Amino acid sequence: MPLEPFKTSASLTFGVELELQLVNLSDFDLTAASPDMLHLLRREKFPGNVTPEVTESMIEINTDVHTNYPELRGQLQLIRDTLVRAGDQLNIGVCGGGTHPFQQWHERKIFSKPRFREVSAIYGYLIKQFTVFGQHIHIGCTSGDEALFLLHALNRYVPHFIALSASSPYFQGVDTQFNSARLNSVFAFPLSGRAPFLLRWEEFERGYYAKMEDTGIVKSMKDFYWDIRPKPEYGTIELRVCDTPLTVERAAVLSAYLQALCRHLLERNEPEPAEDDYLVYNYNRFQACRFGLDGTLVHPKTHASLSLREDILTTLRLIEPHAAALGSLDALEHLYPLMYEGNDSAYLRTQFSEGGSLEGMVDAAIDRFRTSSAGGA
Amino acid sequence: MPESLLLNSELIWPLVLALAWMAGEFGHRWTGLPRISIYGLVGFVLANGQAGLLPESASITLLANIAFGLILFELGYRINLRWLRNNPWLGVTSLTEAVATFVAVFHVAQAFAMPFIPSLLLASLAMATSPAAVLRVVNELRSSGQVTERILHLSAFNCVLAVFTFKVIVGLWVFQSTGDVLHALWNSLIVLMVSAALGGLFGVAVPALLSRLGKSERDATVAFAIAVIILVALTHALKFSPVPAALAFGLMARHRRVALSQAERNFGVLGNLLTVLLFVFMASTLEWRMVLAGAGLALVLLLVRFAVKTLCVAAFSHLGGITWRKGVLTGVALTPLSAFVILLLEQTRHLGIGLIDELNALAAITLMLEVIGPVVTHWALVLAKEVPDTDRS
Repeated sequence: MPLEPFKTSASLTFGVELELQLVNLSDFDLTAASPDMLHLLRREKFPGNVTPEVTESMIEINTDVHTNYPELRGQLQLIRDTLVRAGDQLNIGVCGGGTHPFQQWHERKIFSKPRFREVSAIYGYLIKQFTVFGQHIHIGCTSGDEALFLLHALNRYVPHFIALSASSPYFQGVDTQFNSARLNSVFAFPLSGRAPFLLRWEEFERGYYAKMEDTGIVKSMKDFYWDIRPKPEYGTIELRVCDTPLTVERAAVLSAYLQALCRHLLERNEPEPAEDDYLVYNYNRFQACRFGLDGTLVHPKTHASLSLREDILTTLRLIEPHAAALGSLDALEHLYPLMYEGNDSAYLRTQFSEGGSLEGMVDAAIDRFRTSSAGGA
Repeated sequence: MPESLLLNSELIWPLVLALAWMAGEFGHRWTGLPRISIYGLVGFVLANGQAGLLPESASITLLANIAFGLILFELGYRINLRWLRNNPWLGVTSLTEAVATFVAVFHVAQAFAMPFIPSLLLASLAMATSPAAVLRVVNELRSSGQVTERILHLSAFNCVLAVFTFKVIVGLWVFQSTGDVLHALWNSLIVLMVSAALGGLFGVAVPALLSRLGKSERDATVAFAIAVIILVALTHALKFSPVPAALAFGLMARHRRVALSQAERNFGVLGNLLTVLLFVFMASTLEWRMVLAGAGLALVLLLVRFAVKTLCVAAFSHLGGITWRKGVLTGVALTPLSAFVILLLEQTRHLGIGLIDELNALAAITLMLEVIGPVVTHWALVLAKEVPDTDRS
């Protein structure tokens, strides 16, 4: 299928997708509950959209397209409340977090849908191991060229989003020592990583996508598991590196951070993105996954060593006027305390050391998801 | 001498276990029948009345009670009482299906000219879905979903309702025949309450103990197993009721978990081993003579009970938040009736109620459902698509 033309969107509009965990409240393991949840949720009008994910213990929600942070956050909270109500009715726990801390991947059940059966046949155990939960943020772009520019201009900021959202310290029952173990699962896929360095949509379409299609490896954009990928049918770029945070409020805050950052990048006051920026990309990405906010980055242009935490703080100050213009100063306010209190991974590790069990940690995550409010982003 | 060796109960039971286990494994592979159905068949065929092979043994009875206690504990641990508050239709469903089963079975028994008190007792016991069968099938299939969750909860609830009703009727009978209110109360409600309270006490004490042991003691399986064994032995010795005790223990342990800890599902290997024993034992208490005598009534009762449970549960499925299809399958999956009703009756023997002989029909229906019940539950879960792909047989 040839790539469809890049649909024009209003610049800097945004929307969020969240993959969430469905948990059995007796043993706190994942439970194959999405068919039952979907049945119940589809009875009434859902504030946004809800879809099945590849295994039956996941559910995906997405918001509508928004222009400002308060509306996005409001809708995410409505969605959260609806999910929690449905979960209560069916005795199912719903929570965020990039991984489930102790689920065994081989016990997962593939949701019965042709595409899922197909990818499961191709990737085998990788797909079941892919029972990880991410947040995807879409940013509207006016053209394909703008999309590719933003995609590559963001390369140096990707570690920020990994470190800020990281909520997957445990995987298959052990502490991985990573802040985001989830991204290691994504990296196992052959078409993961970064997008090729092309800045013109026409070039991307003819010079890359058409060739890839011709190889027979890919059939649609969905076959690329890139950290950021263009989504021509929506007219957006999609940032896919975030773990699903423990609260929807944090998800909204991260989206607002990205929106303000994009507004800043579109002013084109920063040095142009270049292929050589990617020399440090995987290293920086690893630092963010492994050490979170304590990571060390190498600046792609100057090759100077930077503290990831400091770099975020600098960026926050830099984009403040843009946040003010977009009406999302509130959101940035929530990020400052996070710099010192730590991300969701730190929170989960604290829960484990206090409660002493991974089950207790999942219980705490369920509680945090349902009871968080605007204050506790 | 070989002959006396064969009749030696200390030797015969281990051999029977081995036989039942092998029959279970091969039978499951060849026929796809749940293993517990096959254990039951083996027990019934080899029992006293039939092949005359299985001697009665107090220690085996106690072991069976312990096995049952472990299952009830696990069931209790999987019950979320908050669900009743979050989804009131679950409680409505449970009460409706239990009460309707009671009324329907009572009327059928009366129509078959069964005396009043035995009819009531039979009706009360028919309310219960076998928690052992349901939990075993769920664990064997590793199923998950609304049908699974609901049959676990509904079977726990209807067991409690059945034991409660049963004890009330026994109390009524004691009062009628002796005129002694105190004696009547003691043998019904007080025994129930004390048993449940004892279980509850364990449910507070054991997690507290575990949390004092700290993080190093991650696997609580052994601690809970030992506690269940003590609890069952205690209720046994005091002539209390192990059913509410073990269930209350599990429930309390769940809702009061100080530190959550992993416990192996079904108590791991220990649970598997004792399950073989339990199902062989339960079916071995049934006599061919009784089964035959009660077969006619049993068949009618079986159909009536099946229809009533299915209809009642299905009726509330939409209100309860599930599809009609899953509602019907939940009702269907509640079919197993356990020989635990026989254990219950045995406990009333010391009161001098000779009812056990009048309840041929119960023996017959128990045997049928001991074997057929798990098959029905198995297929209900498969049809509900709650079983992982590789386990669909």
